[in-house]
Amino acid sequence: MTQTRNLIDENGKRTDGRTTDELREIRITAGVVKNADGSAFIEFGMNKIVVAVYGPREVHPKHMALTDRCVLRCRYHMSPFSTDTRKNPAPSRREVEISKVMREALEPTLMLEDYPRAAIDVYVEVLQADGGSRCAGITAASVALADAGISMRDIVSACAAGKVDDKIVLDINDTEDKEGGADMPLAYMPHLEKVTLLQLDGILTEEEFNKCLDKAIKGCIMVYEVQRQALMQKYFGNESELREEQ
Amino acid sequence: MSSSKRSTVIVEHLRRQQMWESISRGKRLDGRNLDETRVIEIEPGVIKKANGSARVKLGNSEVVAGVKVETGEPFEGLENKGALILSAEVLPIASPYVEPGPPDEETIELARVVDRGIRESEMLDLNKLVLKPGEIVYVIFVDCSVVNADGNLFDTTSYAVVSALINSKMPVFEIRDGKVVDTGQKVDPPITTLPVSVTAVRIGESLILDPNAEEEACMDARITITTNSDRCFTAVQKGSTGAFTVDQLRRAAETAKIKGDEIRTKLRELTNVGR
Amino acid sequence: MQEIRRKYVVPGDRIIDGNFRPLFNVIKAGNSIIATRVGIAEAGREGVKVIPLSGIYIPRVNDVVIGKITDHSSLSWEVDINSCFSAHLPAQDVFGRDFSPARDDMGSQLTIGDLITARIIAFDRSRDPMLTVQDKDLGKVPRGEFIKISATRVPRLIGKRGSMIQTIEQSTRTRILIGQNGIIVVTGKDSDGIKLAVRAIRLVEEEAHTANLTQRVKSLLGVSDPSRQEPSPIPKPQNVQKNDELQSSIQGVEEELKEEVEEGERT
Repeated sequence: MTQTRNLIDENGKRTDGRTTDELREIRITAGVVKNADGSAFIEFGMNKIVVAVYGPREVHPKHMALTDRCVLRCRYHMSPFSTDTRKNPAPSRREVEISKVMREALEPTLMLEDYPRAAIDVYVEVLQADGGSRCAGITAASVALADAGISMRDIVSACAAGKVDDKIVLDINDTEDKEGGADMPLAYMPHLEKVTLLQLDGILTEEEFNKCLDKAIKGCIMVYEVQRQALMQKYFGNESELREEQ
Repeated sequence: MSSSKRSTVIVEHLRRQQMWESISRGKRLDGRNLDETRVIEIEPGVIKKANGSARVKLGNSEVVAGVKVETGEPFEGLENKGALILSAEVLPIASPYVEPGPPDEETIELARVVDRGIRESEMLDLNKLVLKPGEIVYVIFVDCSVVNADGNLFDTTSYAVVSALINSKMPVFEIRDGKVVDTGQKVDPPITTLPVSVTAVRIGESLILDPNAEEEACMDARITITTNSDRCFTAVQKGSTGAFTVDQLRRAAETAKIKGDEIRTKLRELTNVGR
Repeated sequence: MQEIRRKYVVPGDRIIDGNFRPLFNVIKAGNSIIATRVGIAEAGREGVKVIPLSGIYIPRVNDVVIGKITDHSSLSWEVDINSCFSAHLPAQDVFGRDFSPARDDMGSQLTIGDLITARIIAFDRSRDPMLTVQDKDLGKVPRGEFIKISATRVPRLIGKRGSMIQTIEQSTRTRILIGQNGIIVVTGKDSDGIKLAVRAIRLVEEEAHTANLTQRVKSLLGVSDPSRQEPSPIPKPQNVQKNDELQSSIQGVEEELKEEVEEGERT
C-alpha cells in the first residue's frame, strides 16, 4: 500500500497524538469470565477483546484426540458490532487465517505433552476492533492460559510495528493500518527471546525491515509488563509488593 | 428437525435434593426468595464504534448488545417500514457446553423470542425510519453476544437489546442526487414503549423467577412473558419438556406484569433515560 | 546454600540460578530454573518447585476423589471427577467378579447423578482413570451439602497433618469429606454449623496463598487462638467411621508432603 496523505504532523505527533515510540493505552484484567477455566479482558487502544480458555478438557469427537499430547484449538471471532460497518457473524476468511496464526503463536510456549488425549480451547472474542486486534488477542490469550493453570515455558506478548510517513513506528492504530506503508504484527516470548508470530503487509527495505523487527520486540517487552501485572494483581493482590522475598 | 437430547448438565442428586428442600422452605440455594431476580448491572455505551450498545449482567449471565444503523431495502410486504434485524449468538467463551459453529436450536429460539418481544411491542416506530418508501429504508441491526451463560439468557439478552436501543444515537440519512448520504446529524431513536421480558421456571410445584444455570438444569418447564409500558402482553414462550396448569400460567402472567414494571423502572434508571 | 521461601511467580519467571533439582511446575533452562505456572515458588536443598494457584485437577493414582455418575455402559459407570478425563468404575468392582449384565442391574446400585467417594487405582498417559470403591469408607455419598473448590487449594484446606480441616470440623460439629479433585461434601446435625463450615472452606479457598490464614479461619469460627498452633494427634483407624475418611485424606496430604520432594511432576 502506498500512502496518500501525511499521518504524522510537524511535531512528530501521530493521528492519535502519540510519538513514534509510544504504545496505546493497555489494560488487562484476568479472570473475567466466570464459567471459563481461565480468561482475560484486554483494552488496547479502542480494542476490546475478551478471551476465555477451557481446558485441558475432554476431546469431542474422541477421534480428534492425539495420543501423545494435547490438542490446541484457537478461534478468533469478531462480534457483528465490533467494526465500523456491521460484520456478518459467520466466520470470514480473515478470521480463519488469524485463528491459525494465533494458534501457531501460542503453541510453542505451551507444554502440550503434559496433557495427552485432552484439548485446550482458546476463544478470542473481539467486541470492538481498532487495528492490532490479533496482537491484542494473543496478549490476552496468553494471560488467560496462565490463568487457567496450563503449564507453559514462557508468556507470549504481541505487538505490531509499521511504517508511516516513511518512519518506523510502534503499535499501529486503525487509521495507520488502513492508510500507512506497512504493518508488521509480531508475537514474542520475552524470557526465551523467541518470535512465535511474524507477518508483514506492505513494502519495506531490508533496513526498514530490521528496524521494524526491533521496534516490535521492544513493544512486546512493554506489553509483557502489563500481562505480568494483571496476573500478579489477580492472584496476589496488594501482596505482590510486600511478600516477594529471597 | 428437533430431537430429545440427553442433558448437557447433570446435576448431582444431593444438590437437587438441597434445591428442592430449600425451595419448599421458600428460599433458593443462592439465598434468593422464589420471586426475586438477581442484581441487574448495565453499562451503556460500552462499544463506542456502534451507534448504541450496552453490556448487561443479570447475576453472572452477561450479554453485550450492539446497534448498527445502515440503509437498505425494506422487507417484502413491509415497504413503508424500516427494517429491524435482531441476532443473538451464545459465544463459546460463555460456557463449557457451547461449541463454535452455526447456531443450534436453543440459540435460534433465544434470538427469535427476544426479537418477538421487541418487534411485537413496536418498541421502535419503524414508520419513522423510511427514506424512500418501497425502496430505501433505515436498517437497524441489533446483535447480541452472550459472554457468560448462567441461566435466563432470555431476560438478560432482552434487557441488553432494550438498553442498547435506548442508548443509541441514530445517524440521519438523506437522499442527494440519487445517493444515500449521512448528514452527520444524530437523533434519538423513535422509541414508543419499553418491552420487558420476565422468565420463570417451574421446579416441582413452585414457580421461581430468573433461574440461574443450576436451576434451569433442574427445571420441569419454563415460561417467558414480555409486557410493554402499558402492561399489555406482547410475547410469550413456553419452553422445556414439562407442562403448566392454567392456574400456574395465570399466576406467572400476573407476576410478569408486576415484575415487568419494577424492572422497567430499573432499566430506565440504569440507562439514565426518562421514557 | 541459597534458599527461597515464598516467591510469587508467573510462567517464564526465573526462580533461581544454579545446580538445583527441578521438582514440579518448573523447568531447567540453561543455568536457571523457570516457573511454568502461576503460583508460589520455593527453592531449597531438596530442589525447586512451584505450588500452583490455578489449574484443573489432573488425576493421580491413589488419590481419593469424589465423583458424579454421568452415564454407564453395560460393563462400567462413567464418572465425572472434575478433571479433563472421565473416569470409569467397573461394574465388577461393585458386584464382584461374577458380574453379569444380564442378571445384575447396574441401576440398582448407582444411578446417574449419584456421588461416590472412590480411589483412583489406575491412570496413565494412554487411558482414562479407573476407580474402585472397594476400600473402607468409599462408596455412594448418601447425603450432605455439596461444594466445589479449585483442586489446587485442597492441600491448604486439609492443612499440615489435617490441622486446618480438623479445626473447621471440630468447631462447627460437622464431618467434611474432601476429594483431592476439589469436590467436598459437608454433613452435620446443625444447619448453622454446616453454613459456617462452608464459609470457612470458601475463606481458605480464596486466601490459600496468604500467610496467617489459620488465624483468620479461627477468628471466623470463633475459636480462641493460642499463639502457637499445636497440631491435633491423628486419630487411629479403629475409631469412629468419620476418622477413617479423614485418615484417608490426611494420608494423602502426608504422603504429598513427603512425596513432594520425590515426585517428578506434580499438578
